[in-house]
Amino acid sequence: MIVYTLKRLLAGVITVWFIATATFIAMHQVPGDPLLNDKAVSAEIRKNLERRYGLDKPITHQYLIFLRNMLPPNPDFGISFTQQNRRVNDIIKDHFPVSAILGLLAIFFSAAGGVLFGALTAIYRNRLPDIVIMFLVILGISVPSFVFAALGQLLLVNVNSLMGYSLIPVAGWGSFTHMLMPSLVLGLGTMALLTRLMRTSMLDVVNEDYIKTARAKGLSPQRIFFKHQLRNAILPVITVLGPQIAVITTGGFIVELVFAIPGLGRYFVQAVQQLDYTVIMGTTVFYGAFLVFMVIVVDILYGFIDPRVRVQ
Amino acid sequence: MSENILEVTDLSVEFTTYGGTVKAVRDVSFNVERGKTLAIVGESGCGKSVTVQSIMGLTPTPPGKITSGSAKLNGREILGLPTREANQFRGVEIGMIFQDPMTSLNPTMTIGDQIAETLMVHRGKSRRDAFNQAVELLARTHIPEATKRAKQYPFEFSGGMLQRAMIAQSLACGPAILIADEPTTALDVTIQAQILEIMLELQRTENMSIILITHDLAVVARIADNVAVMYAGEIIESGSVDDIFYQSAHPYTVGLRSAMPSNTGDRDKQLLPIAGSPPDLFSPPKGCGYYARCPYAMEACHESAPDPYTLTEGHIARCWLHHDDAPPTDVIHRVTR
Ligand SMILES: Nc1ncnc2c1ncn2[C@@H]1O[C@H](COP(=O)(O)OP(=O)(O)OP(=O)(O)O)[C@@H](O)[C@H]1O
Ligand code: SF4
Ligand SMILES: [Mg+2]
Repeated sequence: MIVYTLKRLLAGVITVWFIATATFIAMHQVPGDPLLNDKAVSAEIRKNLERRYGLDKPITHQYLIFLRNMLPPNPDFGISFTQQNRRVNDIIKDHFPVSAILGLLAIFFSAAGGVLFGALTAIYRNRLPDIVIMFLVILGISVPSFVFAALGQLLLVNVNSLMGYSLIPVAGWGSFTHMLMPSLVLGLGTMALLTRLMRTSMLDVVNEDYIKTARAKGLSPQRIFFKHQLRNAILPVITVLGPQIAVITTGGFIVELVFAIPGLGRYFVQAVQQLDYTVIMGTTVFYGAFLVFMVIVVDILYGFIDPRVRVQ
Repeated sequence: MSENILEVTDLSVEFTTYGGTVKAVRDVSFNVERGKTLAIVGESGCGKSVTVQSIMGLTPTPPGKITSGSAKLNGREILGLPTREANQFRGVEIGMIFQDPMTSLNPTMTIGDQIAETLMVHRGKSRRDAFNQAVELLARTHIPEATKRAKQYPFEFSGGMLQRAMIAQSLACGPAILIADEPTTALDVTIQAQILEIMLELQRTENMSIILITHDLAVVARIADNVAVMYAGEIIESGSVDDIFYQSAHPYTVGLRSAMPSNTGDRDKQLLPIAGSPPDLFSPPKGCGYYARCPYAMEACHESAPDPYTLTEGHIARCWLHHDDAPPTDVIHRVTR
């Protein structure tokens, strides 16, 4: 298990290095000079910046500076080009927690909902609950999240006007009620996908020989369901959870914009629009590292549930 | 005479499928004596598994349906009980093991926990007590280093070891009957012998009855006391192992024996496969099920199904050749009149 974890971590570091390199190359292909903006900088500042990032040196040198600045334990992503006196590190530190909470809640909703609804459809196979849920699943998978975001807001507006006061805020950030709708909207697509997966997985497990053994042992249906069926059926769901975290994170950019949430995703989109080089590079590398880390966490979690992975 | 611990009478089971109704088991009757082994033999698809699974309440309903019959365990009816009541004898009075030990245990639960589970559920033991007893049970099936093994998962076991663990699990509550549905088919030959040896040993020490389903007549000859031969959903002959082997009273039994290799006698003796295939269970013939393949078939066999004839006490065969009007024959053992 320890060797396995170390191997995964090493592979993760290499992946992050790839992401960083790709970002660096991509940024150099973007036309335009970061220092020749509408707000032109003075020659003095220009000199300073050129020295700091080695902009007057060959590209390989710039690349090395870029890598060295990012090295743990104290990566320095530099200073924003468009926001005065703001370090990219601070932008991440201030706004990432918001995105992380939103994302984690979304993952939680989608995993809990996926397992629950998937199990329900399997229990009520081919009966009304199954048919209704599976219809919703198709909607959830095929409708893009900004549509759900708009619908969600519309729903809240209606609920609030019905109540006569603001029961659940339509947008913004601050309290737990603020988080409910955006995280639900964000997790919906993944929830639909997981529901479908869980259903198939449950139906596969029901026909396994060990379920027959469990019945021959005289166990109650409830015990068989929880102790033998569920745990085995969840395994395939967990494998896709890692990649789905990436889906949810990128989906977060849109949801943060629609719900006016001060998350990192919003700053990322802004930075791209304004060609804020340091912010783009910093957040991209940071997001990349975060996603790689999450996938590793999910893999390790999988190891705890599936002994076959753990012991090898 | 020894007492019957399980009496099955006229058990019939059907499956409703898109293609029609499969009459998988028809009017099957047999008894299991205390401490004895009953072997059920017959070719693939003849209804052996469905028979025992119906008794255990394991056939899926629907599509399955028990259309008639009774099964009395110590005089108590156990056929078609609701789950809650069935769970009072399943795993307690009757234990069961299956053909493929590799897939018959939960892959994400330790062997020890799976055995302990039975004891916790049926005997109300604490997890710790149950686990300790699970270790003892594993040791009784001669699994080396049982303490360590109990903490392992099925994928860390070999097939033979898993089948031992399955046996240990089914023994947990000291059942009166162990049902073994082809317990050695998926294992290689040397392991097969070991598993059978363990079953026999436990049968002696626990005075347990065994219902053994198998294709292997050599195994039957070695460990069975009584035999039921199934064909196309029916028991066509049943009796003591000597009756079946030395006084076969049904052409199908005779055919099975000639298809069986033996290491005594003539080495050059040809094995004779039985030509043809069993009848369609969607619409079983109105006459004898073996008619199409039977070398001794007569007109009457096609017309109506043969009655069961009792040759000697406990030796029964369903074949018209035992009828008074049937022509004399020396291929099968006849009713002595
Ligand atoms: N769930 C089911 N649905 C439909 N038909 C079934 C079902 N289970 C069993 N059958 C039918 O019942 C018949 C008997 O099956 P069974 O499994 O008892 O055979 P068997 O004697 O155990 O064979 P084998 O030696 O291959 O294990 C088969 O013809 C099979 O098609
Ligand atoms: S009843 Fe007729 S067909 Fe059936 S086994 Fe006997 S002789 Fe053969
Ligand atoms: Mg079978």
